[in-house]
Amino acid sequence: MNKNYWGLWTLLAAALVFFIVLSFWQDGIHLGGLDIKTSTFARDMIKEPAGNRGKVADTLDSEGHVKSWRAPMDTTAKNILFIGDSMLEGLAPRLAAYCDKNGHKLVEVIWYSSSTLCWGQTARLTELINKYHPDYIFVCLGANELYVPDIKKARRPYLKKMLAEIGDIPYVWIGPPNWDEDTGINDMLAHDLAKGCFYLSANDKFERSRDGAHPTRASAHKWMDRVIKWIGAQGAHPIRLDYPGEGIARASRIVIYQPPV
Amino acid sequence: MTQLLSLFTFDRDEPMLFTSGLFWVLFLVFLPVYAMLKSRRKQMMLFVIAFSLFFFYKSSGWFFLLLVATSFIDWWVAQFIESSKNRTERRIALTVSMVLSLSVLLFFKYSNFVLWNWNALIHGNFQPLDLILPVGVSFYTFRTISYVVDVYRGKIQPVDDYVDYLFFLSYFPCLVAGPIVRACDFMPQMRENKPATREMIYGGLFMVMLGIMKKAVFADYIAQYNNIAFGNPTGYTGFELLMAVLGFTMQIYCDFSGYSDMAIGLGSIMGFDLGINFNYPYRSLNVTEFWHRWHITLSTWLRDYVYIPLGGNRKGKVRQHLNLMITMLLGGLWHGAAWTFVVWGAGHGIALCVHKLCKPWLDTIASTRLTRSVSWLLTFSFVAFLWIFFRANSFHAAGQVISGIFTDFEWAYLPVFLARRSTWCLMLAIIYGLHFVPRHIWDKLRDRFIAAPWWLKLVIFIVLIQLVLQFASATVQPFLYSQF
Repeated sequence: MNKNYWGLWTLLAAALVFFIVLSFWQDGIHLGGLDIKTSTFARDMIKEPAGNRGKVADTLDSEGHVKSWRAPMDTTAKNILFIGDSMLEGLAPRLAAYCDKNGHKLVEVIWYSSSTLCWGQTARLTELINKYHPDYIFVCLGANELYVPDIKKARRPYLKKMLAEIGDIPYVWIGPPNWDEDTGINDMLAHDLAKGCFYLSANDKFERSRDGAHPTRASAHKWMDRVIKWIGAQGAHPIRLDYPGEGIARASRIVIYQPPV
Repeated sequence: MTQLLSLFTFDRDEPMLFTSGLFWVLFLVFLPVYAMLKSRRKQMMLFVIAFSLFFFYKSSGWFFLLLVATSFIDWWVAQFIESSKNRTERRIALTVSMVLSLSVLLFFKYSNFVLWNWNALIHGNFQPLDLILPVGVSFYTFRTISYVVDVYRGKIQPVDDYVDYLFFLSYFPCLVAGPIVRACDFMPQMRENKPATREMIYGGLFMVMLGIMKKAVFADYIAQYNNIAFGNPTGYTGFELLMAVLGFTMQIYCDFSGYSDMAIGLGSIMGFDLGINFNYPYRSLNVTEFWHRWHITLSTWLRDYVYIPLGGNRKGKVRQHLNLMITMLLGGLWHGAAWTFVVWGAGHGIALCVHKLCKPWLDTIASTRLTRSVSWLLTFSFVAFLWIFFRANSFHAAGQVISGIFTDFEWAYLPVFLARRSTWCLMLAIIYGLHFVPRHIWDKLRDRFIAAPWWLKLVIFIVLIQLVLQFASATVQPFLYSQF
């Protein structure tokens, strides 16, 4: 090989090895006050390739093959639990319409002003799971954490706890509808959640209500429609969610918790 | 094994881009084989074709077969045109080739646009077609059209060997988003197959790094705020919207020229000179100059294959302006199947006509620092203004941005904005600053990089990639132009 090509090749290879090694520090490296991000090479290409991140990747099919990260369409009726912050006010009625149309049962739990911190610090999610026995979970959280500094350090343990509580139950996490640049909540969710389980809302367009943060009802309905479409096309656990036409419905049960003190 | 195979199969959600880790790994496999085969032209070409088609498959799935079919048909048509002495036969062959190439492009790119408009006219109700636009189809279609037309015009000789033509059309650095390299520039290099020098290899790496910096550091970072502001214009003040417009003006430049730099750099590493595609467009002092500096390979393509065949400036002033307008309208529509793109193209067309009309008078004005500054400011403001139509999803949204800037603008937001979005502002200031660094300084930097010791190059490369990681957003933004 031409020595210049050899030089270029060794340069690219050395840099690749460098970043692969660093990528084993999955949470980044903290040097003094500096937070050095690491790549996902190790997870994507060696340890957990092709998006097989998360629990779904570890399950085997009846023949012992690793399942694809994307499960086949499940057409059975589901017991759905939808938890989150005030964004559920707009999202849940639209999801309820889909549930009505497709024979699913929906329990909606709004904890106003909540965040991963609130849910992660309490056993509320486990209690809800034990009480309603959902076989599909929707989460919409993150809007109250757009500006948390050093978010990975501050919130990742609570996120991990929530994911542990969800366990093997198929879930979809709807990211916050950013009205402003966040400090890393979407990065963290995209990184930590299983492939096909995180819907990034940050780049969607919303008509906002007067507070400038919450989407208007009409916009929230379109948001839910996009999430549903995404579940069918790219979600890890597609379930039957045929279009119910325009309109909303009411969840079978609505539980409301007041903002954390 | 299944997991490994999934890396080599098409994933609609994760098309392979030059900035993806997988491309980096594959390029490490590609490079030594390419280097070993470089002197054996035929084998090298077959190897590059295989890699290019795989690259295209990873980006667009089985649509890569369309490229193979197009290349074969146009190679055959060009042979036929060259061998036929009958003018009618040659014309028919040219027409068949163009109809086939354009119909593929029109079908994938404009079917839904036509259906939407038809629907609006008849107040009908239909579901849009579930079409995937094959990545790069606009670019390779233009390249293959230019080849057949040039053969028809007798400007170039057709290639005898199909492998040569497939190599030209599928060449992976140019495949996704250009540059629209012409056969007359590329084929001679292909035939000569000169070895790549040290300057070409490390100069190419320098270009690739520059492209990565523009795209993955600057464009993707500033895109985050631009997306939010353009997504909800009524939620922002005039000042914030103006910043988003200035942000998008640089975002699209960094995004597209960044991609071009990477493509040109990879070409250089492989021993091919792909020319330049952007020449500091925002330094332009008038709109005509802007189009001489912006997406050069596209604007020259439109000039040679649309404007001049329409008559160019040979049929009087009125026809010249009409031809200019048609060319720019088509150029606008090429960028996207929406009326906002047409308006963007029309705006540039009108500006070009006005500039041509005023040129005799403008030439009488003395070139002073003041007049140059005023010219620059007018040109830049106009170009940035038209980007609003390019970026906005609808006329309504564009109207909201424009009305916000003109009716709700207060300088009082400046300190707040600077404080809240200090990194974004710093990024934007750096990009604008770098855009005005004289070319000879960039050339000097490039030469210094080439001459630098290996370890220093490695450190610079690592620092750059770390910067990409530090500023990466939650999801990688696709190349804007790859969507065209």
